[in-house]
Amino acid sequence: METPGSAPVWRFLITPRWLGWHLLMVVSCWGMLWLGDWQLHRALTGNGLSWAYTFEWPLFAGFAIVFWARTIRDEFRIKRGGGQVLAEAGAASAAGLPDGLGTRQVEEPADDAGDEELARYNAYLARLNAEVNSTHGKRHGSK
Amino acid sequence: MHAAVLRYRVMAYITGVVLMVLCFVGIPLQIAGHPAVANDVGVVHGILYIIYIIVAYALARRLRLTIGPTILLLLAGTIPVLTFVVERWMTRRYINPAISAAEPAAQPVSR
Repeated sequence: METPGSAPVWRFLITPRWLGWHLLMVVSCWGMLWLGDWQLHRALTGNGLSWAYTFEWPLFAGFAIVFWARTIRDEFRIKRGGGQVLAEAGAASAAGLPDGLGTRQVEEPADDAGDEELARYNAYLARLNAEVNSTHGKRHGSK
Repeated sequence: MHAAVLRYRVMAYITGVVLMVLCFVGIPLQIAGHPAVANDVGVVHGILYIIYIIVAYALARRLRLTIGPTILLLLAGTIPVLTFVVERWMTRRYINPAISAAEPAAQPVSR
């Protein structure tokens, strides 16, 4: 993946900014699990209301981990030749023109929403091109 | 895009209102010795906030927000009034630009 002479892609993970995020991540997860544990103790001593929070805090910690992992994954995708991937996605989508432009993509975020925006833009460009070629210029502004 | 924005807005308003009820009605009543309202509304807010997080995170990914705004967006559901402030800010700063970019017909392109 890495080109000779350049730093490995994962190096961004140890920049001060990212180390700060990792630290925040660890501290907040630890804090949320601690709060969950505290609520568990309260629940066990008879506070029925605490049961809800006992499960809620670990759930939030889980959200934090998912959020963190996906952000890192996105960053990896962007860093290692994202441009090429984006272009391919755009070409693939532009082939399926022009009905219901992008409607499905809007409804289904999937994992890489980033590619969709570009795909839809490319699809739009291709549609414009098609309109010009078929001299159906009237469709401009009809939507 | 529209569906994601709508889901986010609905959850932002519901969560925001419930949170304000909790903080400005429930907590004073709790201090005055009537904890029932705070307890019930607190649990409701807890559940709504889970949904809010999911919906807001989906929107954040759709808008490709960076980490800072994403965290602010997610935390907005826990701080009274901030929910509404952030919703307005999101709309102005991110949602409207994204929508106008996604709808090329709204901005005729000249060749």
